[in-house]
Amino acid sequence: MHIPFLFVLAATESGEFIAKAGKSIGLGVGGGLGAVGAGVGIGIIFGKAIEAITRQPEMRDEITQLQWLGFALTEACFFYGLVAGLLAAFIV
Amino acid sequence: MSAVASKSPALTPEDPGKPESTGAVKTTLLILGGVWIGGIVLLGLIYGFSGTRNNSFEPQNEFKLSQWVNLGVFSVNKAVLYLILASLATCISMIYVARRMQARPNKVQTAVEALYELMHDNIAGGNLDRKMTARWFPFIGTLFLFIMFSNLIGYIPLPTNTEHYIHVFGFSFPAFSLYAATANLSIPLVLALMVFISYTYEGVRAKGPIGYLKGLVPGGVTGAMAIFIFFLEVLSNVMRLMSLSIRLFANILAGHLIILFMAGALAVILGTAWLGWFTIPFGILLFAFEVGLVAALQAFIFATLTAIYLGGAVAEDH
Repeated sequence: MHIPFLFVLAATESGEFIAKAGKSIGLGVGGGLGAVGAGVGIGIIFGKAIEAITRQPEMRDEITQLQWLGFALTEACFFYGLVAGLLAAFIV
Repeated sequence: MSAVASKSPALTPEDPGKPESTGAVKTTLLILGGVWIGGIVLLGLIYGFSGTRNNSFEPQNEFKLSQWVNLGVFSVNKAVLYLILASLATCISMIYVARRMQARPNKVQTAVEALYELMHDNIAGGNLDRKMTARWFPFIGTLFLFIMFSNLIGYIPLPTNTEHYIHVFGFSFPAFSLYAATANLSIPLVLALMVFISYTYEGVRAKGPIGYLKGLVPGGVTGAMAIFIFFLEVLSNVMRLMSLSIRLFANILAGHLIILFMAGALAVILGTAWLGWFTIPFGILLFAFEVGLVAALQAFIFATLTAIYLGGAVAEDH
């Protein structure tokens, strides 16, 4: 029932608009949801690092190194989402 | 990174003129904020708050690679130029500093020595044992320096944009643009492949081909579960290639994209003048963030993960 309707839409000009809308949604979801997850993760990492340093200030250097490692690994997850969104918007 | 932060003059005695200096800073900030908001309102009043969309400017062309010298596989384009620049910067600066080592180091030598200590003691030495550090430190250090120089060169505007030209006194120059070798997926992918091949080679040399494959499965797991975990581990080894390369590539590309948009592309696309004035401070802040943190941090992460993978490949127990 729905599939022939979609074919008709794709053949007309409004199909192009639907494709464009889908691409925009892909970019928004990829970038937006990726930013949500990475934001929560980075917040947890820095919060825990502050907690750990206040408990054991003598371990500061080691904790700082681990903190930056965790920050970059979490931040990368945002970029996976963003790259997927950019692929959807510009290449597919 | 932390060396820069520790230079702040925290130990200076109480400055008698401090209240006036903070007042001066406050006044300057207020003036700058006023200029910023006033500029937005003024530009909006002159050129209108709504503009017509400009479809002729395509931001993806800023990252397009047009071939300058066509030699088949060995063609020269923008990414190749940046690759050569980064390699030259790495080699020349490090050889220059190493040739002129002095007993009483100057500022540059102190900085390079701090960098060396970071690479040798923290990145390589923190994740590998003494023998492995001696063998693999040159590789890890070169990766770190090359990626850092490549990222940093990417934030210097160079006349490499052959899509647009600037015309001055009858001469045409390529427009200035930001691009980095690491903002192209192929170069991080090749670096990640080098890392993959080296740690597999090191693991096979330490344990033998059969022993290395057996070592992928943690001890104590037997039967069908061992087969399942083996395939999971093989898959995770392949995923390391993707995560290493995409992390570096996407960080640098996203940094360049957001600087491009904040520094005016958004205003050009939407055709509104006030928006460009509005986004410029964010562009400057993001530029400082990328240069100060992301460029060195990504190199640090890449080198640290290389050391961790190398250490994991030769570890006796999984």
